[in-house]
Amino acid sequence: MQTLQQLVNGLMLGGILAFVAVGFTLTIGMLNFLNFTIPALFMLAAMTMWALGTTGAHPFAAGMPWLAAAAIGIAVAVAASLLIERFTYRFMKAKYGDATEHALPLVSSLGFLLIFEHLVLTLWGSEPQRVELPLAQADLRIGGLIVGVPQLASLALAFILVALLSTLLARTRLGRALRAIAENPDAATLMGVEVNRIVPIVFILTGVLAALAGILYAASYRTVSPFIGDDVAADAIAGMVLGGLGNVWGAIVGGLLVGMVKVLAISWFGAEIEKIPVWGLLLLLLVVKPTGLFGHTRIGKGKF
Amino acid sequence: MSGYLAGVLAQLAINIVIAYSVFLPAAAGLLNLGAAGFVLVGAYTAGGLTSRLGVPLVAAIPLAGLSAALIAFLVSFPILRTRGVYMVLATFAFAEIVGGILLNIPALGGAAGLSVSAYAGLPLVFAVTALVVGFVAWLLATRFGLAMRAVHDDENVALLFGTNLRLTQVLAFTAGGALGGIGGALLVHQFNFIDVQTTGVMFSIFVLLYVLMGGTQTAWGPIAGALFFTLVPEGLRRAAELSPSLKFLESSRYIVFGAGVVLVMMWRPEGLITRTLVERCYGLWRRNA
Amino acid sequence: MPDAILSVEGLCKRFGGLTVIDDVSFGVRRGSRTALIGPNGAGKTTVFNLLSGAYSVDRGRIRLEGEDITALPARLRIGRGLARSFQNVRLMPHLSTVENVMLGEQWRSPPFSLARGRRAGERAARALADAGLDTYPGQVVATLPYGIQKRIEVVRALAAEPKLLLLDEPAAGLNSAETAALRALLERACERGITLLVVEHDMNFVKQLCDHVVVLSFGRKIFEGTPEEVHADAGVRQAYLGAAAA
Repeated sequence: MQTLQQLVNGLMLGGILAFVAVGFTLTIGMLNFLNFTIPALFMLAAMTMWALGTTGAHPFAAGMPWLAAAAIGIAVAVAASLLIERFTYRFMKAKYGDATEHALPLVSSLGFLLIFEHLVLTLWGSEPQRVELPLAQADLRIGGLIVGVPQLASLALAFILVALLSTLLARTRLGRALRAIAENPDAATLMGVEVNRIVPIVFILTGVLAALAGILYAASYRTVSPFIGDDVAADAIAGMVLGGLGNVWGAIVGGLLVGMVKVLAISWFGAEIEKIPVWGLLLLLLVVKPTGLFGHTRIGKGKF
Repeated sequence: MSGYLAGVLAQLAINIVIAYSVFLPAAAGLLNLGAAGFVLVGAYTAGGLTSRLGVPLVAAIPLAGLSAALIAFLVSFPILRTRGVYMVLATFAFAEIVGGILLNIPALGGAAGLSVSAYAGLPLVFAVTALVVGFVAWLLATRFGLAMRAVHDDENVALLFGTNLRLTQVLAFTAGGALGGIGGALLVHQFNFIDVQTTGVMFSIFVLLYVLMGGTQTAWGPIAGALFFTLVPEGLRRAAELSPSLKFLESSRYIVFGAGVVLVMMWRPEGLITRTLVERCYGLWRRNA
Repeated sequence: MPDAILSVEGLCKRFGGLTVIDDVSFGVRRGSRTALIGPNGAGKTTVFNLLSGAYSVDRGRIRLEGEDITALPARLRIGRGLARSFQNVRLMPHLSTVENVMLGEQWRSPPFSLARGRRAGERAARALADAGLDTYPGQVVATLPYGIQKRIEVVRALAAEPKLLLLDEPAAGLNSAETAALRALLERACERGITLLVVEHDMNFVKQLCDHVVVLSFGRKIFEGTPEEVHADAGVRQAYLGAAAA
C-alpha cells in the first residue's frame, strides 16, 4: 500500500515533469535548440500568479482572483518566450544563416535564464512564498489511496494537451509546416513555409507548457521561489532524454518515469539519494542508447 | 593589501584555474557542462586529505588534480561516445551524480558540507594559478595543442592528417578534469568550506558561460571571461554598498552577467578574445617596439 | 604495372543500393603525374575518399608501394606516404596559415616537444614563402581569399612530404595567374620525386601538367592513356557529350 501510494505521488510529480519535458522536446525536435530558459518561464508564471493573486507589501500585489492571476502569469511567460526567440533563435539565424547547427542559442538561453531568475529575485526577493489555492487541500480517497485534486488535474491536463499537440502536428497545415522546419529549415523556406512566422509558434507553445506546469506545481506544492524551475527542469531534461529527443509521447512517458523513480528512490533510500538514480539512469542511457527509449533521429550537433 | 582585495584576487585566480578546466576540452571541440563535478572531486579529495588524514596542503593540491584526472579519464570514454547537445547533457548528468554521491558520504560531511582548517593564502593560490597558466600555454604550443585545435575545427581532416581523434579528446578532457580538481582544492582551502549545494548546476553553468564569453580560440579567452565574471559582480556589489538607493545593484549583478552573455553571443559569437584580435594586438605591439 | 606506387584492383563502393564505384582498376606509376577525369558524378571524389580512408572499401584492394592499405585506418595512411587536398577548401578556419601548414607535418614530430614545434613552425613559414604565400604569416585563414586558401591547402599537403599526393580539383576557382603559380608549385614538388594523382575539370591544366590520364564514367573506368590519346578517343568524347546532352 505504502509503495502504491508512492507510485501515485510519483505519477503526480511526473505529470508536471511531463509538461516541461514536452516543452524541451518540442524546441529540440523542431529547432535543434536545447532551450534552457524553460525553467525561467516555469518560475515566471508561478511567481507572477503568486504576486498578483496575493495581497501584501510586495510589488504588483493585487489580490486578484486566482484564475485571472494564472492567466496573466501564462501571458507573461509567453511574452518572455517570444522575447527569447527574438534574441536567440531568430537573431542567430538572421546573422549566421543557420541557428540550428550552432550551440550559440543554447548558450544565450543560459544567459536569459540568469537574467529572468535574478530579475524576479530583485523584484520579489529570494524567500520561498506560500501559495494557497482553493482546492489545493482537496484530496480524493480511492480505496485507501490519497490523490490530490491539483495533481490529478495536472495529470489529466498533461494528457489532454499532448493529445491535442499530437493531433496538431499530425493533421493541420501548421503541423506540416512545423515538421518541415524540423526536417530542414532551409528546404522548408524554399518550399514556401514562412519560417519566421512559424518558429515563434514553437516558442509560444513552449511558453504555455512551461507556464501551465509552473502554475500546477505552485498549486500542488503550495510554494514558489525564484529557483523552483531549476530542479524541475533538470528532472524534465532527464525525462526528455529517456523518451528520446524530439519525441512528444516519449517525453510524457519519460517525465512520468522520472517522477516515479524519484519519489520511490526518496521513499526507499531517503532524500539524500534522489539525484543518483535519475542521473545515473540518464548517463547510462546517453552512453548506451543516445536516442532514448523511443527516439528516432540523432539531433544536436552543437558546433561552437 | 586589504583582506577584501586579497579575497577578490584569490577568487579571480581560482576562477581562472576552473575556467581552464572547461577551456581545454572546449578547445578540442567538447562542450563540458559538468565543471562542478571535477571541482567537487578535487575539493573533497584535497579537503579530505588535509582535514581527515593530516596531509600537507601542498601535497593535497596535486593529489586532488590527479584524482580528478583519473575520474575524468575513466568517464571520458563513455562521455565521448556522445556528441553535441548529448555531450552537454552527459557532462551535466556526470556532475549531478558526483554531487549525489558526495552527499551520501557522511565521513566527508554529507549534506552539511566539508569544513577544513588548512588555509590556502594568496601567495599559494597565485603560485598554483601561475603554474596552471604556464601548463596551458605550454600545452597549446605543442603539437598536441595544434591537434586539439585542429580537431575542434574539422575532425575528419584532422584524422586524415594523422591525428588520433579519440586520444586527443580523451587527453584534453582528462587535462581539463585535472585542472578542475586543482581549482576545487584551492577553492575549499581558500574558503575553508565546500558543499554540494553551492557547487551544483548553476556553478557549472556559470563556468561554461564565462569561458565561452571570453572565447575558446586562445588561452587569453578564459582569463578575460574570469575577469568579467569576477570583477563586474564585485564592482556592482561595492557600488551597492555606497548608498542605500543603489541597493538593487547587488542582486542585479547576475542580470548584468546574463545580459553580457547574451550580447556577446549576438555580436561576438566566438567570444570576446578571438584569434584575429590577438594577432592584431601582437602586430601592433611589434610595430611599436 | 612494373613500377607502380599505387595500384587499385577491382575497387567497388555502394551507397545503399547505388553502386558508385564499379570494379575500377588502375595503377599510378612512381614519379608520374596522373590525372583522374570524368564527367560530373563519375565517382572521382569517391575514389579519393576510398584511397584516403574517409570511406571504407566494399570490395577490391588498394596497394601503396606494394603494401595492402585497403583496411588501414585513415589516420595511419599519411605515415605511409599518402596526403590529399580537398575539392572544397578544408583548411582549419581558426588556425593561422603557418599552423595549418604545420598540421601537414605534425604526424612526424613527437606530441609534447616544444622545440620541435618551433622548428616545425619555421619550416612551415619557409614552405609558405617558397609558394609565394608569405604575406599572411599569422593570419587566421578564414579571412583569406579563396585562391590563397586553395594554394595553402596544397602547401599543407606537401608539408606532409608524401610519396603520393592526391589533389581534388586544385585549380577550380583559381584565376589564370593563380593557376600558373599552382602549376609551378606542383612542378617543383614533382622534381622532388613526389607522385601526383589529380582530379581536375580544367583540361588545359591536365594537358600541361599530367602525363597519364584515367577516365571514369558512371563509376567505371572507360579509358586510360596519354592526354593526347584521351583527347582523340571517341568513347571519352561520347561520355562527356552524353553527360552534357543529358
